[in-house]
Amino acid sequence: MTWAAAVFWLSGAIALAGAVLAVGLRNIFHNILGFALALVGVAGLFLSLGSDFLAVVLILVYVGALAIAMVYAVMLSYPLDTKPEPRSVPKVLGAAALAMLVAAALYVVVLSARFQPAAGPPETSARWVGYRLLRDYVLAFELISVLLVVAMIGAVMVARKARMPKEALKPTPRMVG
Amino acid sequence: MTAPGGYLTISVALFCIGLYGLVQRRSLIAMLIALELMLAAASLNVVALTALTAGAQHLAVTRQIGVGHGSSVGQVVALILIGVAAAEAAIALSLFVAIQRYASTINVEDLSELKG
Repeated sequence: MTWAAAVFWLSGAIALAGAVLAVGLRNIFHNILGFALALVGVAGLFLSLGSDFLAVVLILVYVGALAIAMVYAVMLSYPLDTKPEPRSVPKVLGAAALAMLVAAALYVVVLSARFQPAAGPPETSARWVGYRLLRDYVLAFELISVLLVVAMIGAVMVARKARMPKEALKPTPRMVG
Repeated sequence: MTAPGGYLTISVALFCIGLYGLVQRRSLIAMLIALELMLAAASLNVVALTALTAGAQHLAVTRQIGVGHGSSVGQVVALILIGVAAAEAAIALSLFVAIQRYASTINVEDLSELKG
């Protein structure tokens, strides 16, 4: 077994285990930790494909930023005494049946597809990614930065306290006194 | 190099676990987590297919790097996907905080004000 194959199997197992934890556990904080684990596994899969830069960016953005932002959202939006959501059996069964159905359909497509394998090694280094990103796909690159700025400003505007209902804006006795 | 089949199988599994979570969970944050898992599965697909299979003959990028070689275009697509997913998550999380402030819940079954 080559190193790439070993990394592939290990990372695939980590990704799937993390995904099951991220979806199956009932505590939302454990879900976020499972999500981070699943993304570490996906980053390992990218590594086994030779995409080292992409793997590092994935860990930085998803595990470093997104999971932390989700923890903050949980802190701001979950009352501490929230009970785990109850689980209704028909809904779980229906969701599982739907997921199985879609998985079967997709897997049939995967099995029936015939790919022409690459003759040579892929252009994997970060040098190639930078070349593509800043030369061939520079328009998408710049649009992404505009999109991120708009999203940040929009997030601040939406989450700001000025949108509270009117009763909440009335001064409390403590503020008056 | 392994064939893309293994990566596609893991991608199918990730996608369907995410789909299951999206349908079954009721907390908005849990649904966002499931949605991000599905996005990660999609980007894994793109990267695996472009790196391990020969490019389509009609694409300009295939002519540049030579027919039959894997390309790094999938990595660029995945980077753009990560950027869009980050923007989407920022908006979604701030909406969840605003919804929690307005309705005191982020359970989707309690957010039924538009139901006739």
